[in-house]
Amino acid sequence: MDMNEIKEIFFQECEEQLAELESGLLKLNDGDRDPETVNAVFRAVHSIKGGAGAFGLDDLVSFAHVFETTLDCVRSNKLEPTQDVLKVMLKSADVLADLVSASRDGGSVDESRSRGLVKELEALAHGELPTPSAHAEAPKPAPKAAPAPAPKAEAPKPTDDSGFQPIPFSFDGFDADEETTLEGSTYEVIFKPRRELYSKGNEAALLLRDLSRLGDMSINCDMDQLPALDKMDPEASYFGWKISLKTTKSEDDIRAVFEFAEWDCDLDVKLSEEAASEEELPMIPVPFDLAILDEPSAAEEEEKSVQSADETVAAAVSAAETASSVTKAAARASEKKESAAAAAAAAAQNNAAAAAAAAGQTIRVDLDRVDRLINLVGELVINQAMLSQSVIENDTTGTSSINMGLEELQQLTREIQDSVMAIRAQPVKPVFQRMSRIVREVADMVGKQIRLVTEGENTEVDKTVIDKLAEPLTHMIRNAVDHGIETPEKREAAGKESEGTIKLSAKHRSGRIVIELADDGGGINRERVRQKAIDNDLIAADANLSDEEIDNLIFMPGFSTADKISDISGRGVGMDVVKRSIQALGGRISISSRPGLGSTFTMSLPLTLAVLDGMVVTVAGQTLVVPLTAIVETLQPEASSIHSFGATQRLISIRNSFCPLVDVGRILNFRATQANPVEGVALLVESEGGGQRALMVDAIQGQRQVVIKSLEANYTHVPGIAAATILGDGRVALILDVDAVVAASRGQSLKPEMSLAATG
Amino acid sequence: MAAKKASPGSLKLSAVLDLNEASNLHGKLMSMRGSDLVIDASGVDRVGVQCAQVLVAGVRAWEEDKKSFLVEKASDAFQKTMQLIGINIENLVAKEI
Repeated sequence: MDMNEIKEIFFQECEEQLAELESGLLKLNDGDRDPETVNAVFRAVHSIKGGAGAFGLDDLVSFAHVFETTLDCVRSNKLEPTQDVLKVMLKSADVLADLVSASRDGGSVDESRSRGLVKELEALAHGELPTPSAHAEAPKPAPKAAPAPAPKAEAPKPTDDSGFQPIPFSFDGFDADEETTLEGSTYEVIFKPRRELYSKGNEAALLLRDLSRLGDMSINCDMDQLPALDKMDPEASYFGWKISLKTTKSEDDIRAVFEFAEWDCDLDVKLSEEAASEEELPMIPVPFDLAILDEPSAAEEEEKSVQSADETVAAAVSAAETASSVTKAAARASEKKESAAAAAAAAAQNNAAAAAAAAGQTIRVDLDRVDRLINLVGELVINQAMLSQSVIENDTTGTSSINMGLEELQQLTREIQDSVMAIRAQPVKPVFQRMSRIVREVADMVGKQIRLVTEGENTEVDKTVIDKLAEPLTHMIRNAVDHGIETPEKREAAGKESEGTIKLSAKHRSGRIVIELADDGGGINRERVRQKAIDNDLIAADANLSDEEIDNLIFMPGFSTADKISDISGRGVGMDVVKRSIQALGGRISISSRPGLGSTFTMSLPLTLAVLDGMVVTVAGQTLVVPLTAIVETLQPEASSIHSFGATQRLISIRNSFCPLVDVGRILNFRATQANPVEGVALLVESEGGGQRALMVDAIQGQRQVVIKSLEANYTHVPGIAAATILGDGRVALILDVDAVVAASRGQSLKPEMSLAATG
Repeated sequence: MAAKKASPGSLKLSAVLDLNEASNLHGKLMSMRGSDLVIDASGVDRVGVQCAQVLVAGVRAWEEDKKSFLVEKASDAFQKTMQLIGINIENLVAKEI
């Protein structure tokens, strides 16, 4: 494992921590005051800081440090997390994310922005410091403005590009106190590491060294538990320490030293009673200058690692251990600072947390490998279909054992496929979280107050869908903020809350994922949209359009109603691009708007782009696949239930209601004349826009799971056709785009879709 | 890094006495029981508590065997760390029982 890989892992973990951070902050923003939430937020920042320290990412460390300090104030109830405070924190989370990506991909971060935030954070941390914590008698240093790059530990600069530094993960308590009084209180620290502390790559000696830096330290090593040499386990923990520390720092600062280890050791910190114990115990005074322990040796190690490949590997491995232990440990951190009396409870909590961590174990797998697996499974499905077809064709004797075997094979294939698909399924949460940042930033730019409410973030959908969802969603969110929600003044004038709400929700509906984006803004100004469309020659001036049709005009290419073109949206490349990207995913988008009340965009997307349950049908000699999710029922029309309507339209009466009959062969131009409904089969389908249609096909061949092969990738987009597949006999069959066909049957031909596609 | 066997036994400690080295060190000490031992800690850069534990256990074992366990040379880092974790180096260095 080389350094870059370890770094890559760190960045992946950073991403998870950032997501955790953001969701925690948003929860706080919504009024959640659960201490666990605050802790989770704190841990996330802390872990990033710790890892970043290990890689010498100084910018990241210093910003995270300031952020963490402020969060700590919230954690210790010194700072009330009001909306204003959280606003700063959310912005800080954004900057932290920027810093992480800048560290990973290079590039730079808006210096002035981060510096401004550092100031704001520090103001929060200092400005509202009411009373020092109960135990700390030591006077807090006067609130003084620390220099903009946060004070950090004298972390040795990395001497080479590998950036590995065996620095401890606590940078707390190094700021500003040196010049204050050297008196202070004496604390008694009892520290007994457990085996896990070492196995996670922590080192008690380093913790002790950090501790010794806080003040004057005398130490007594308790070796009573050390067994005889031949009975000992060299990797177990036997030593414990009783430490007397004279320092100006607070108890919290002392505990901060053990922060990453606190759940792997027994720790007790208390104010000592007049240092009486010092006399009794053979304490060994520890010199303050311990620099020799780390820095020079670190430098030496660096040099050696250049010389010796072996040692480089060793160092890298230990770095990996440290890096991952930081996050693992942080994930398991539980609030144990309250009192030693709670130790038993805390231990139980630890066990529970450990069990939970064990249950939720994950591995990271390269996406390429999963893709390869999915492709192979796709081939397997096709092959299995071919096999069963040839068996059926050649089956003259009717041997049931072969058939049974085949059926089992089919079931197994199915299960394998489902499991493989589940690997790719991911919750939409990360995308939704990204959106909240966009809402914040854009709302800030245009001076509006907007809250993003998300729902169903854990709805899972195929990774490719998620990846491709971000862009159109970003576009729509920007539009909603910029055009949808009104300015606070306008909102108040209209009798609404000055803060606008955008609701983003995801849910599963009949084998698809439906994503809704609703704002409570002014809705679509239909008069203006119509006028604009006429001005842009998109519709005729006298065209008679329904409200729905007017709303849908905004999806036309080159359409923008914004009066002035802003940075954010309104360049006229908006919604048509969105529509195209959604369509490229095999999805559909629609809008419903109520004037004065807001608009709702509804996107419906397939859960996966790889397989589909379909009904294989014949239309005019062609084999087509109709997605099973669209089909409500199938029926054999009788002549008596077919009614003519107008010149060409026909209706079918089903249980005393009428439903338009759509001849698929005619719509797709497979045949020139309408087929006789009585000779075919009607598939009753439900379309996205609501309403049922009876699709007429010639015959049903059967029901099958098919592997989707993109038509666009291999050929070109065909209106009315969603994709293609390979059937058991090796022939290509087209998968019907039910909604396009239904839309086409509403008097419109498939042409508008085509022209839309052509503009792409 | 490697233990040189001689009589009396002498052991040069690795530069990095961390978690990974603890078992190694333990094994080396176990194999050297029963004869006087001279430890050379001059090349030590880093000492972890676990190796310190092994060393202290070693001192006790040698004590029990009535053999000498002598830390002949010790690097600065070794001494400082030992002091830091509260092990009196005086008891180790030049200790003969």
